Amino acid sequence: MANAPTLKNSSAQPPQYSYHVEPTVDPDHRAEKFLAAFAAILRHSNYRFILDLFARTSARCGRCAASCQVYQASNEPRDIPCHRTHLLLDVYRQYFTTRGEFLSRVLGQDSLSNGKIDEIAECFYRCLACRRCSIDCPIGIDHGLMTHLGRYILSEAGIAPKGLVVSVREQLEGASGNTSAIPLPALLDNLEFLQDELRDMKGAAVNFPVDQEDAEYIFLPAVSDYLMEADTLMGNAAVLHAAGTSWTIGSKYFDGINYGLFYNDWILERIIHKLAGEAHRLKAKKILIGECGHAARTARQFLPAFAGEQSLPVVSILELTWQAIQQGKLKLSPTTITERVTYHDPCNIARSGWIVDQPRHLLRSFVSDFVEMNPHGRENYCCGGGSGLVSLDETYEFRMKVSGKTKAEQIRASGAQIVATPCANCKKQLRELMDFYKLPVQVVGVHDLVLRAIEF
Amino acid sequence: MPTWLILAKGPAFFFTLAVFVLGLLRLIVLTIWDIAAAIRRAGDRRVPYVQIARQTLSWLVPFKHLHRARALYSFASFGLHVSLLFAVLFLRNHLGILQDNIGFSWFTISKQILDFLTVIGIAGALILLLSRMYVIGSRHLSKVSDYLLLILLLNIFVSGFIAGRAWNPIPYDGLMLFHTLNGMALLLVTPFTKIAHCALFPLVRLGSEVAWRLMPQGGSKVIESLHSPEGRKI
Repeated sequence: MANAPTLKNSSAQPPQYSYHVEPTVDPDHRAEKFLAAFAAILRHSNYRFILDLFARTSARCGRCAASCQVYQASNEPRDIPCHRTHLLLDVYRQYFTTRGEFLSRVLGQDSLSNGKIDEIAECFYRCLACRRCSIDCPIGIDHGLMTHLGRYILSEAGIAPKGLVVSVREQLEGASGNTSAIPLPALLDNLEFLQDELRDMKGAAVNFPVDQEDAEYIFLPAVSDYLMEADTLMGNAAVLHAAGTSWTIGSKYFDGINYGLFYNDWILERIIHKLAGEAHRLKAKKILIGECGHAARTARQFLPAFAGEQSLPVVSILELTWQAIQQGKLKLSPTTITERVTYHDPCNIARSGWIVDQPRHLLRSFVSDFVEMNPHGRENYCCGGGSGLVSLDETYEFRMKVSGKTKAEQIRASGAQIVATPCANCKKQLRELMDFYKLPVQVVGVHDLVLRAIEF
Repeated sequence: MPTWLILAKGPAFFFTLAVFVLGLLRLIVLTIWDIAAAIRRAGDRRVPYVQIARQTLSWLVPFKHLHRARALYSFASFGLHVSLLFAVLFLRNHLGILQDNIGFSWFTISKQILDFLTVIGIAGALILLLSRMYVIGSRHLSKVSDYLLLILLLNIFVSGFIAGRAWNPIPYDGLMLFHTLNGMALLLVTPFTKIAHCALFPLVRLGSEVAWRLMPQGGSKVIESLHSPEGRKI
């Protein structure tokens, strides 16, 4: 057990969170568990220096409040990014710095209570981790990083949303090996069905290759696309076929999702190893991520960190499709999509990634009535279901009335009939939002539109 | 020689200046050391230095950012920062004291310009103070130290501004003693409070970026240290 500070008093109250938690934490010792986890993480990570730096420089100016869509909708001070960051910094200062320990003894500050842990647990799961606040912080404090760290500590103290934990458990330890628990035979059946559909729809013999060694790309979409987003997948396959790309799906691992980003570095690394292992097994040269924001970000950002020699270049399907258009390999009919279309930037690939212009060029190349939301690109508003919240059904009311409110207003103001977005999570959240606010807007993937317009 | 001038040219001021300079220097060295160590431990050591430098510079001259969020607060804050920097670094009287203490100084700026900047600084500090008092979000975030530091700044600006005026109703030497003591207090607390951002600012964006470069096997070591040999269940 790592050395953790001790607590003098700790009032035991049953934990109350707005998300379901598995009963793995001793309800009487949440604070002790939290401090033990905090100590262990500080010892075995790079987080200590950034806590020191933020604690020394944070000016608490509150500019982040103006750019946070959650606070703008809720008006609750607990939703101000800087407030949340300081919940963590205050614990750090008091228990893990000499000056803080000295001052807390001299001033007789209260020990960390179970109630405080519950406040932290609640606040950190009201954050979308969209990192919009970070672009408006004059000092440069990354509140999204603090949300990531806070949730990591909470999860090692036994507090993590059941919806995320159960999915990850199936992905890493379950029989199916993926977050949607799709058995391999069902996947293969589904691929066959998609091939038939494509042949009927487009008259082209588009293949979904499985376990092809030495392919240029191993393809990993959000695995839920296999169940819910047939058009997106067929659009992906149609592009790969038309571009003459060699690609494959791995039968041992075919899930791009990595919920580790949302709550735990240990999970994050294990999933990266699974992904790298499958790419290595099939001797793929690059990793191609489908329409999924956090999947693309985690693969691109953390493969080099965790996979060592097994690391491969990571490409988003949006990059590949735009490149194929530029090379004249795709024929997209400019008269098929007549509706007004707008594009929603998934935060993980726009603000925290490298995909901003590609999908816009791509859509403008065949959509006649394309409009932008304001703001957009790196300054976009989150769909309201970011950081894994969309996977937690119990957060529905919060996502609709609070975190997604600004996005719904933005879409309404755009006058669009179709919102295209390359992210499974964003699509689910936006569809629920359109239903909730009764907006007659269709939410689709970018490649759903490509599929409609592509000609062979 | 009046008391305030004895104070400003004496060992107490030199000590204050030394705490200020050495304190900030210590923070800069520690932070650079920590960032370098974090990069060494990281699995992915590529850091986009040029991009980070560009972002940092764009916030040093932040005109394109100010209107985006809390415009009044942001412009007031910018005015306060500019005013403080120029008044501290380019006022003839300040540089004279610096010359006496450390044996060198540099060029000055005309008093009219500095007077104008001081008025902006006072207005800026007042707007920041009122925002902290009356804007709900700001008030919630504010701690006692935030108010005290703003009051300290206001004391310095206002006393310095009115001391040299013909209409100043307060005895000059008393006011200057007040000005000097507040100035020394500000210098003394700088390395130990959030004002340390005056020196650490160029390193925060770099630190944020580096902190995302995670350590390989870090998570597994956390699990080993927290749980029994059977390991943690997901």
